[in-house]
Amino acid sequence: MATANTVNGRIERARTELSPTQMAAGALFIAALGFTLLFVQDPLVHDSLHNFRHAAGIACH
Amino acid sequence: MFAEYLTRGVKAGLVAGLVFGLFMAVVANPLVAYADELNHAAVEESGHSHEAESAHSHDSEGTHSHDSEETHSHDSEETHSHDSEETHSHDSGDSHAGEGGGHHDSAVSMAVTKAVSVAAGGLWGVVLGGAFFGVAFFFLEPAIPAPDAAKSYLMGLAGFVTVSGAPWLVLPPVAPGAEQSLSAATRLPLYAGMMLAGALACLSAGYAYTRLRESSGPVPAVIGAAVPFALLAVLAVFAPENAVHGALSPTLETGLTGLFAFGQVLLWLVLAAAHARFRPSSESESESAIPTAGRDSAPMAD
Repeated sequence: MATANTVNGRIERARTELSPTQMAAGALFIAALGFTLLFVQDPLVHDSLHNFRHAAGIACH
Repeated sequence: MFAEYLTRGVKAGLVAGLVFGLFMAVVANPLVAYADELNHAAVEESGHSHEAESAHSHDSEGTHSHDSEETHSHDSEETHSHDSEETHSHDSGDSHAGEGGGHHDSAVSMAVTKAVSVAAGGLWGVVLGGAFFGVAFFFLEPAIPAPDAAKSYLMGLAGFVTVSGAPWLVLPPVAPGAEQSLSAATRLPLYAGMMLAGALACLSAGYAYTRLRESSGPVPAVIGAAVPFALLAVLAVFAPENAVHGALSPTLETGLTGLFAFGQVLLWLVLAAAHARFRPSSESESESAIPTAGRDSAPMAD
């Protein structure tokens, strides 16, 4: 707990708190999520989000 | 400690997701449906010259879904668009009018769209809460130049600028059915690029503020923090222009754009307020420093 309260300290802290496996799993999960959000342009998914995309200001017609 | 931060972020996200899901259900869903309806009424009235514009949707659906759509879309869709479409829908084909009446180029029914959109509104809050107030806040908290609870609000501001504010400088929210001059293939990278620019602007504004405050005092620090945002605005001026034109009245389009922008502002405000409120009590020695705004939106948590 000798890490200073700085951004570097927080990065250090995350490094000691999380095991490499946890970090790899987290990174993989985020990558999978991002990939899904970006590339699921399937009409079924895309169109059922139509109203939401308008409300969120992310519209593509 | 990381797990605690993530939990707190996701909790704030749940509260905001609840509010935004409600906004989706009672405000955005009916309005988008209504705007779609108006668009189609306008398009149908202007005759069939619109085929060139919306050929991608109507031609493909008009042919294959004739028999299946005709039967069940009749009661749900036809009722509200009846008066405007009755005149010519029966000779030109029912599926054309039945589908067009409620929903624009869609693969799913309006009911599914509404339900999925409400759920997505809730999850949107959770995703933003987890990403910004969970992960990003854990790393950036020491660098955010504000007293304890106000950090949450600055994070909310930075999150809004990153996710919505900066991209909207180039691609503001558009009303349903409006035609845009840039293609989706151009707009997606543009949106992502402006998100990146927004994030960089926020980070460098925070950095400049902290540095200048130490060396030259608060006034130059505020000016220094404003510079990245000015650069962001300049960047937006040089971005390709996206001309939008729709069949709706300009006043209604402005109102819808404003409403959707307001929805996102509300989402981030609730996120920040909930996050400030969920501060662990051990950290909140300076309880009086909590801005009253945090108290105002507290009932939304229930």
